[in-house]
Amino acid sequence: MLVLTRKLGESIAIDDNIKIVVVQIKGKQVRLGIKAPKETKIHREEVYQAIQDQNTEAVQANMSDIARLGEELKKK
Amino acid sequence: MKVKTTRFGELEVNPNDIVTFAEGLLGFENLKKYFVVDPGDSTLILWLQSTEDEKVAFPIIEPKIFKPDYIAKLLPADLNGLELESLQTAKLYAILTIPANVTEMSANLKAPVVINSNKKVGKQIVLQDSKLSVKHEMYKELKVYIVNFSSDDARRTSYEPSIALESGDLKTPAATTTRTLEAQ
Repeated sequence: MLVLTRKLGESIAIDDNIKIVVVQIKGKQVRLGIKAPKETKIHREEVYQAIQDQNTEAVQANMSDIARLGEELKKK
Repeated sequence: MKVKTTRFGELEVNPNDIVTFAEGLLGFENLKKYFVVDPGDSTLILWLQSTEDEKVAFPIIEPKIFKPDYIAKLLPADLNGLELESLQTAKLYAILTIPANVTEMSANLKAPVVINSNKKVGKQIVLQDSKLSVKHEMYKELKVYIVNFSSDDARRTSYEPSIALESGDLKTPAATTTRTLEAQ
């Protein structure tokens, strides 16, 4: 992994069209501004982890729960 | 072809109905081939069943059923590999998590599954909208729908596509514009 040191207001350019700016440093938090083409997907890493966790949980659904769900949903 | 499944036994599947997820689903990257099973029960839940692992099947549902105003805004990059010629051929599903306490069921609105029903390719897409939840509880809304409309099949299938393009169109994706995002 490439590690670079940056000060507040300084930035990093990736390719010709992505720029990451250090917008604010507050204690242990860093605010980053990202300038990128519209088609670039940018997400916090935790988002991917959360989706992976949901997918893993989703495949655990069993048919007896679904049958119970069907009964519950039909009740007026 | 015959496919063994843990939940539905052995199923006869038309090879033309098998959908390829070139990138797999998050956490299941090695499984690429799925088909949609409609058990025809009252829950309106379908299943995205793997042909490669009989245990793996994701309960899925069309999100418009419980959230009529839900629209997945796709970025040009999201369309890569979907080979879409028209949004009409795109089917959109939310993956459901159904715990033992079924009233706590939830839908992942942040990362829906899009299937091109003509080309039989699919993709789980992580939407940029930060307000969308991976665990959107929707039992009550689903129940209201089923109690009111479940006998009305016409209504069930008359939905407009719930997918929109963030910019550009399918043939000429948006030009490279810049935007600024701030992540804290």
